[in-house]
Amino acid sequence: MSGTMLLVAFIAAINPFRSRGSLPETPTGNARVAPVVIGGTLVVGSVAALAWWSGPVLRALQITPETFKIAVGFVAVLAAGYAFVVAVPTAEPELPGWRAGIWPVWYPRLLGPEVIAMALTAGASNGVAASTGAAAVAVAGLVALVPVRGPVPRRLVVWLGRILSAALVVVGIWLTIDGIRDV
Amino acid sequence: MVRRRLALHLSVLMLGTAVVRVAVVPAEVCPPVTAAEVRRSIDAAAGWLERGVQPDGTYLYGYHRDTGVVQAGYNEVRHAGIVMVLYQAYAATGSAEALVAADAGLDRALGQLFDHGDWVAWAPPGEMTSGGNGLIVAGLVFRRQATGDHRYDDLMRGIGRFLIAMQFSDGSVSSDWRDGPTPDHSLYSTGETAWGLALMGQEFPGEGWGEAAVRTIDYMVTDRDRAEGRFSRLPDHWAAHALADLRPDLLTDARIDYARRLAGYFSIRLRFESQRLGTGINLWVRWYPGTPAGFGTAGEGMGALRHLAVDDQRLADLVGGMDDRVVCTAALMVDRQITPAEAASGPHPMLEEGAWFYRGYSQMDDQQHTITSLLEALPVLEAREAGR
Repeated sequence: MSGTMLLVAFIAAINPFRSRGSLPETPTGNARVAPVVIGGTLVVGSVAALAWWSGPVLRALQITPETFKIAVGFVAVLAAGYAFVVAVPTAEPELPGWRAGIWPVWYPRLLGPEVIAMALTAGASNGVAASTGAAAVAVAGLVALVPVRGPVPRRLVVWLGRILSAALVVVGIWLTIDGIRDV
Repeated sequence: MVRRRLALHLSVLMLGTAVVRVAVVPAEVCPPVTAAEVRRSIDAAAGWLERGVQPDGTYLYGYHRDTGVVQAGYNEVRHAGIVMVLYQAYAATGSAEALVAADAGLDRALGQLFDHGDWVAWAPPGEMTSGGNGLIVAGLVFRRQATGDHRYDDLMRGIGRFLIAMQFSDGSVSSDWRDGPTPDHSLYSTGETAWGLALMGQEFPGEGWGEAAVRTIDYMVTDRDRAEGRFSRLPDHWAAHALADLRPDLLTDARIDYARRLAGYFSIRLRFESQRLGTGINLWVRWYPGTPAGFGTAGEGMGALRHLAVDDQRLADLVGGMDDRVVCTAALMVDRQITPAEAASGPHPMLEEGAWFYRGYSQMDDQQHTITSLLEALPVLEAREAGR
C-alpha cells in the first residue's frame, strides 16, 4: 500500500466524521474531551499492537499477507456499506466518567472490525510506524471534531461520514484486487 | 446494560470473523517437503508416463481408477507435451528411462513429418497445429541441451520456420494449417508457439528466432485477450515460459510488466488451491482440490517466472513470494500423489502409482504439468536446505 492509500484507508476505516455522531457529549452538545482522547489513544495503541503482531497472527492463521488483503477488502466493503446506510451509529450506554473512553468510544465505536483487519494487513505490508501514524492522523481528525455542535454542522458531519464510507468501499475493492494480483 | 451490549457486539464480531475465516480466507495449508521427496515424486510421475509408452509411440492417455477403465482417444498436442516433459525430466534427473520414453514419442512424431519445402511440420493424421509443433520444438531443445546431440538441428529450424509461417502480421498465431494458416486461434497455441521460438533463440542465437518470438509475446502483452474475446487475462503458463526463456536484451519494461501480472494470476490460483481440503464445509466453499493439470500449469508458470525474477532486477521484489508459492505447490502435489501403497488396492496398481487424480481420473497432462512444476521447485528447496 502506498503511503497515501494507507492514510486514506485508516481515515476511512476509523471515519472520524461518522464516529463523531455517537461520542459522549456535554450538556452543551460538545463531545467530552477526556473520553475522546482516551478512546483515541487506545485505538492508536491497538493499531500499533495489531500491526506489531500481524506477522505471528497471520502465520498462526496460516494465511499469507497477500490473501489476507482479500479478506480485509471484503470486511471493509461490508463495514463501509453498513456505515453508509446507518450514517449515525446507534447510541450506546456509557461507562461513567473517563471510562466512557473505553466503552463506547474505544470499543465498539473506533475499534471496529474494519480497523482491526486494516491494522493487521497494514502492519504486514507497511510496518508498525506507518500504520500507527495513519491511525493517529485519523484520531487527530476526531479530536478536531470535538467542538462540533448544532444541527447544521452535525448534518454536514454525517454527510462527510458517508463520503468516507464510500471511500472505504473503494479502499476495500482496491485491497481485494491488490490481494488477488499480489504474488 | 453495558455488559449486554458488549456481549452483543463481541458475538457479532466473533460470528463475522468465523464466516470470513471459513468462507473468504480458509487456512492456506502447505505441508513440509524436502528436495529428496520432490525428486522421488518426479521419478514416480515420470515412471507413470514411461510405463504408458505404447508400441506405436503414443502414451497412455488417461485412466479411471474407480472403474479400472483406460480412457480411449488421444490428443496430439498433449503428446508433444509429454515428449517435452520427459526430456525435461531426463535433463534434470538423468533418468535413462525418461530419455527412452521421450525418444519413443519423438520417433512417432518423426514418422509424421510434412515437408512443405520452405518449412517442415509435425503433422499427425488430420492436424498440423502450431501448439503441437511449438512443444515438439521445445522438447527437441531440451533433448539437444541434455544430450549434446545435434542431429535434429535442421529439423528444429524447419519446424521453427513453420511456426513463423503460422504467425500473422500482428503477432497472433493460427492454431492450424489447412492449405494455409486458418484464421482460428486456440487457447494455448499462441503461447506454445512463442515459447518454441524463444527456446530456438537460445539454441541458435543470431538467427532471428528471439525476434520472431517477440512478435507473438507482444501480441499477448497488448491485444490477445481482447482480440480473442476473453473477458479477463488468460493466466498463460506458456507465455510465462516464453518470457523466461527470451533473450535478456529483448525483455522490455512492457514485457516485464506482463510477467509481473502473470505472476499475480498464478499466485492467486496457487494460494486458492492451498486452501482446498476437499472435505466438510471447506468442500462447499472451495470445492475439491483442483485438477492436477490446472494446478500444475500455475505452478510451472510461477516457476518459469521465478527464473526470470532471479535474473532480472525489475522483478527482484517478487522472488520471496514466488519461492513460497513454488515450494507450497510442490508440497501439496507430493502429498496428493498416489503412493505404491495407495495404488496397491486398485484394480491396476501400475496405472495409479505415481499419478495425480482428480475425482478418480488421471490424464497424461496431469503428470506433465505437475512434473514441470516440481522441477521448478527443486532448486528452491535445494537452496533452502543448503541454507542459501
